Amino acid sequence: MQLNFNDESFRDDYSYKNSPEAIKRFPFPFSEDHYMYSVNIEPHAKGAKGSVYEYTFDVDEHYVSECLDKSVTLEQDPGRYAALPHMMTAQWDFLELAMTAMANDYPEYFTLTKNGNVWTWKNRPLEIIDTFTFGDATTLPYEPFEYMGRQMQGDFVLLDQRDGTLYADAGIVTSQADWSLAFNTGMSWQEWHGPVPKVTELGVLDRALKYLLNLQVANPVRRLNWTMTINPRLDTSPENYPLWAIDRKKVNDETVGDLVNLRVELQTLFRLPRSNAIVFGIRCYLASLKDIATYPRWAKRLHRVQKDLHPDLIEYKGMTTYHRYVIDWLAQFDDGEVLEYGAHPE
Amino acid sequence: MERGYWIKSKPIYTSLTWHEKATSHLVLATGIGGMAVLKLFQQMHPTQPVTVLYGKYGQIELDYSDTLKSIIQDDLHLYKFEEDLLKKLQVLLRDATMGLRIYVAGSEGFIWDVVAAAKPFGIQESEIMKEQVDTLARTVYCVHCKTITKYVTTNITCCNGCERMLFVRDHFSRNLGAYMGLMVDAESPGELPAIEEIYP
Repeated sequence: MQLNFNDESFRDDYSYKNSPEAIKRFPFPFSEDHYMYSVNIEPHAKGAKGSVYEYTFDVDEHYVSECLDKSVTLEQDPGRYAALPHMMTAQWDFLELAMTAMANDYPEYFTLTKNGNVWTWKNRPLEIIDTFTFGDATTLPYEPFEYMGRQMQGDFVLLDQRDGTLYADAGIVTSQADWSLAFNTGMSWQEWHGPVPKVTELGVLDRALKYLLNLQVANPVRRLNWTMTINPRLDTSPENYPLWAIDRKKVNDETVGDLVNLRVELQTLFRLPRSNAIVFGIRCYLASLKDIATYPRWAKRLHRVQKDLHPDLIEYKGMTTYHRYVIDWLAQFDDGEVLEYGAHPE
Repeated sequence: MERGYWIKSKPIYTSLTWHEKATSHLVLATGIGGMAVLKLFQQMHPTQPVTVLYGKYGQIELDYSDTLKSIIQDDLHLYKFEEDLLKKLQVLLRDATMGLRIYVAGSEGFIWDVVAAAKPFGIQESEIMKEQVDTLARTVYCVHCKTITKYVTTNITCCNGCERMLFVRDHFSRNLGAYMGLMVDAESPGELPAIEEIYP
């Protein structure tokens, strides 16, 4: 497989575009006409060819531009990377997991050569070649977690397991749906989910935590989460909220189809072998409502989900200002046809 | 949000009670927090060594120094400045041994200043017993410019660093010892809700 990488931006002129293939493989998250939080965790098993689940870490047409956007965000705010000192073993675990999987799944892009503890990593799309000593952070230009995190799409958090819970003790976070790594570093599972409405009553958090505490090496899991974002902006951080919040006011009947993006997070969780930490990957996929409407089935489904979404979720996801435009625009596609279960496009 | 919505990162404080299995006790309090210390000694005078650091900073603060002096015969230290009290704390922690238990009573700002001072000695905040007294004033972390603004008593406050108007959330970071402050008028510049004192 040979991808053509898009030359595109996720800020300023927002030239981000999805090809027809990218739309077709978009991880649409709604299998039913109604949405509420649930423990929707499943094994991160190899999925269909061409799907976002085909490989351990999905590399798509946005890879090069997304890594560039990440480096810009990190340069403007180095606080988007944080690692508490006791996480160094987990950092190397992460690097090994990522390099091994990417070199194995995409040999035309990435090569890992090991000579004892001396490793050579080649990343052709980003034109990187480095030889380093595994376990010696001084032989890399960044800490191992940051080094590899910069060469991957999406955000990563390393969770340390102790006292019967998980602590967010390291992260590289540049494409987040409005949460702050600098603020959340060191938080326990219950603390960092504190602001999410409804999940406590539903018992979702306790059950998901119990599940994750028993996560086994070599049996990763995944789930989808979603929100909406104005413009294809990866960096919707609270840090830069003053830059992007104002865009919500630009949504109207004419602009809604282009401006409003369905933002889907493919969340993956891997147990790491030496440190016993967990990698929490949060990969963001963006598709405008117009992209979604390429497939009438998706447009109908999205309309129904949005129409009866719980008001607390609308507020929590920051959609209050423009949500009615989304429903009105999607209504034109919804003829009331009964849709069978499933999130497939056709 | 409807009633019952509760941000779980917001700390819950308790009343101080002795850890009976400790090998020694270190009690820190300011102002009206002295009453919490007196209540501890109402419960019992422990057999293990007790050290008390008490600060009485301002003119208007209630002062329990005299009562504390008559009750506590062991190791009582009085301070006029928080800086000095925290310095003494760090001196004591340098020689601390396993089995030491720490108790704090004061404003939320004081409690988390103590936590931050103890952290370099490997003491987890969950090991420190905390009683909030006196004021509900909040320490606020500006998520935009990372400046900390102390003693905030209102729902909305002006950031000491970037001067944005910040909404004070219930979301609390134990690592920073502060609540999150988020620009309140980012969507509609200049449109501010009523500013009210809700953390007197």
